[in-house]
Amino acid sequence: MMKKFVKPFMKLLSKVLLIGLIGFVATFALYITNGENKLIYYVIRPFLNKHYDSQERDRKI
Amino acid sequence: MKDLKHLIWFENLLQEAQNELVSKAKEEGQYALGYNCYYIPEVLLNLPGCFSSRLRAPRCTSTDIAGYYMTNRSCPYARSILERAIEGGYNYLDALFGAESCATMDRMEEHFFLINPVKNERFFVTQIDPPMKGDRTNLDYYKVQLTVKVLEPLKEKLHVDVSEEALRTAVEKHNRLCRVITEIGNYRKLPNPPITGYEFHVIQVVSQVCPHDLILPYLEETLEELKTREPEPKFPFRARVALVGSEIDDPDFTKLIESCGAMVVVDRYCYGSFPSREEIIIREDETAFDAICRTYLFWNQCARFMDGMKIDQRHDEVERLVKEYAADGIIYENMKFCEFWSYEKVLASNIFINERQIPTCTIEKEYALGAVGQLRTRFQAFIESLEIKQIQGGK
Amino acid sequence: MKLLEKMIAPIDKALERFDPVKQSEKGVGGLRDRYYDKTGVAKWREWRGVRDTMVDYTAWLNNILSMVQMVASAPVPIMKAFWEYRWMGSYLGTFMFIDRLFEGYRGPELKIAHMNMHAIVQSLTKRIAFAMKNDRRLGGGPETEKIIPHDETITPLFLKGFKGLYPFPLQTLPEFIICDVDQHIEPYYIDVAESYGLPADVCSRCSAETGVAIDDAFPLFGKVLLSTNMPCNASEATSMFQRRRYGKPDFPITLAMQHNNPEALPYSRETLQNAMKFVEDNYGVKYDWDEFFRYAKLMNEQNTIELEKWDFFKTPYSPLSGIAESLYRLYSWQSVNGQDPYFNKVDRKVIRIMRKCYEEKHLPFGGKTRHRAFLWGPSAVYYTDFPTWTQNCWGITIVLNMDSTMGFNMINTEDPEIAMDDLTRFTEKACMRHHAVGGWENINAVWEWAKNFNCDMVLMNDNIACNGMLGVHGMMEDQARDLGFHFIFIEHDLEDSRTVSRQDMRNCVNKYMSVVLNEQPLDPTIVEFDDSDAY
Repeated sequence: MMKKFVKPFMKLLSKVLLIGLIGFVATFALYITNGENKLIYYVIRPFLNKHYDSQERDRKI
Repeated sequence: MKDLKHLIWFENLLQEAQNELVSKAKEEGQYALGYNCYYIPEVLLNLPGCFSSRLRAPRCTSTDIAGYYMTNRSCPYARSILERAIEGGYNYLDALFGAESCATMDRMEEHFFLINPVKNERFFVTQIDPPMKGDRTNLDYYKVQLTVKVLEPLKEKLHVDVSEEALRTAVEKHNRLCRVITEIGNYRKLPNPPITGYEFHVIQVVSQVCPHDLILPYLEETLEELKTREPEPKFPFRARVALVGSEIDDPDFTKLIESCGAMVVVDRYCYGSFPSREEIIIREDETAFDAICRTYLFWNQCARFMDGMKIDQRHDEVERLVKEYAADGIIYENMKFCEFWSYEKVLASNIFINERQIPTCTIEKEYALGAVGQLRTRFQAFIESLEIKQIQGGK
Repeated sequence: MKLLEKMIAPIDKALERFDPVKQSEKGVGGLRDRYYDKTGVAKWREWRGVRDTMVDYTAWLNNILSMVQMVASAPVPIMKAFWEYRWMGSYLGTFMFIDRLFEGYRGPELKIAHMNMHAIVQSLTKRIAFAMKNDRRLGGGPETEKIIPHDETITPLFLKGFKGLYPFPLQTLPEFIICDVDQHIEPYYIDVAESYGLPADVCSRCSAETGVAIDDAFPLFGKVLLSTNMPCNASEATSMFQRRRYGKPDFPITLAMQHNNPEALPYSRETLQNAMKFVEDNYGVKYDWDEFFRYAKLMNEQNTIELEKWDFFKTPYSPLSGIAESLYRLYSWQSVNGQDPYFNKVDRKVIRIMRKCYEEKHLPFGGKTRHRAFLWGPSAVYYTDFPTWTQNCWGITIVLNMDSTMGFNMINTEDPEIAMDDLTRFTEKACMRHHAVGGWENINAVWEWAKNFNCDMVLMNDNIACNGMLGVHGMMEDQARDLGFHFIFIEHDLEDSRTVSRQDMRNCVNKYMSVVLNEQPLDPTIVEFDDSDAY
């Protein structure tokens, strides 16, 4: 009975741990390489700025 | 036109803060009470035994020492006043009634007690916290401020009579002076006025810097003279303009505009007659002091007022004056580094040009008139545009 | 715990050569080495040892989570907002901003800094989502008509008596906060204002706000606009533009400038009451004092803890200083103002750490502090990490900032009459307001503050367009000489880094430290560097 319960639990736990580990490695890699900031600085913001510069704003006092 | 009899003498009175009439009043034992801003009602400083002296710094060319205290990035008017104080130009003052109407003015006035530039043992400084709205709450606060910072010190430190009777007398005298100046100013409404904007500017400033009792006879005489003064056969200017903005206490600035071809028919700026020469009407249900506070708060056109009613009033008042004095356009001025008028200038020019269709030219100036080449070019271009508009029938 | 330390120790030892603080100690590099030139983009994140890197990493994850929650709670409005508002794009620089702020931080200093920062991030992300969900321009939402937009320098606490309504500081999103994150955003709005004729010599903060108004970039909600004369002339003037562009009935809350005088209190009190009446009339909601007291209690707790923090600031053992202290206090006081219990929770945790550090005689920043400075005057918002730089480069700890001394009086939570007076005093002492204007004694108070907090140095922020501060230049120089403080004017242009760059600001300190005090920098790589293209 105990064995029947422990085995799937261990399986689940190892899956969770594995996912956690992969998640940690992935996010930590992103973190330590400053990946998100590079993406934002070199790709996203220039794209957005181009859009903002082309906007027609309703400027008036 | 024939020269006005007292004009040169008036001009000479503007060469020094302590002019001959100020010295004479001091010799008579009167207290000289300085002020900078319209928020301080002139009439309160003309109670028995005192006279008001609105501070100017004529012929101030350098503000080196004041620049040390306030940097060269602050309002040149405030710096010039401080410089003149440090030079000893205001040693005749017995008190300075200041107003924290803007931060720079406040700081400048603080130096009057921090470094004691006025060499007069009796001298003291107070500063009111001026209201920023025209409602009842602010009127009450204005009254409290003027009571605590003006009337009480006058009574306690200089033993001046601040009774209702004394105030009523002061109001009467003040109104008399206002009537004279207003009547002189009204000549500017004529299609071909017997007075120039420059002459009026001199007269108006003289009335603010000299003891009223001593200057009034000469102003009355000038008024009489104007009644019969023959204007030029043909209006000698190419356009008529309203001059609007912050401190302009130097008539040479008006002269500069007029030398470019436009007569200044409206003086809606600090030291001008709008506001300052409105009569104070005491209603039946109020004291003289209440009437003074109400009048000064109502007519105050300062750009620091924040409520919609006062903001609209500022623009309506200019429009009223433009119509009444038949001005072709407006020259909107602000003193360099003046935040209030810098903002107001942008807003007002937008309103006048786009919403009220009144041609408007905006300029920024120093306190002392030095290099005026750029200003001259701006004025000439503006006057030319007004002229073209006239030729095209206002289109 | 000790076992963990033992396990970590060899790893730390092995990776020590990547730690920029250790590098500068050994003279083989420093904090600037890991950056691409000019950009402010780091090649990799700072290695701070295993424990502290994990603290930083966890904080980073937490902040990402808050942002994900923000987008998830209102995906369409948030996307629309990114497309509509230029300033929204700048919020993407938040991670880089946080990295910059806490460079060189270790141990409890880092832990507290991140606790404080996360409080701001979680609050701000919720606010952005709330604002965008209800922004009329983006389609509006269920609370659009229940929001009370008010000027950022009006404390929202007094508006918490309106049950069911939401006070919202209007300029916070497009200007007040974002200018800290991205030095390039407000110059755009300043240029818009100047293109309409506004001179370049006015305060750049208000110029930027004017630009936002002209550019039609304020979020739109609510039935009214509460403007104010706080803190100074330029903010009064810019209100004229904002009220026109916002197009709603406005009420200027003009509090007494000379608020120390006894006659000021009744006036300011009546003004606040008039404002309450204005809100009641326009929203049809009666003021509920019990509701107000709930929030006033939270504010009182925040202030009680703040006062205890000050006791620790006076000692050499405070792990909280510099930007970690001032940014949090600024946001938690001016923007949160007792509205969010999360901040009370953080305060309670932080004060526990501070007590412990004091008991253990913990010397912050590796005991490298050489000078204790009081920072006075409105700070340059485009160089928010300036205190971090003074610490890392010259060992100057910014013990306290002028704006941290905003209203710290307690508010009565039982009697509306007494509470009204307390609230008035509290409101009058808002950000940049109490010390920069309203009389000489307010600014001259710096020496007393500096003395009480055992500072030997005063860094005077010299906003080149702040009339209130420019007018006391000479007097402050004289006072510093007379009282024997090290005194440095830090010239800056508040929100316009084009006029006085970050390096120009650093040079003010560099010159004094090297020429007058003849000291050597702790980290030579950050004495002079180009970060002009950084956010």
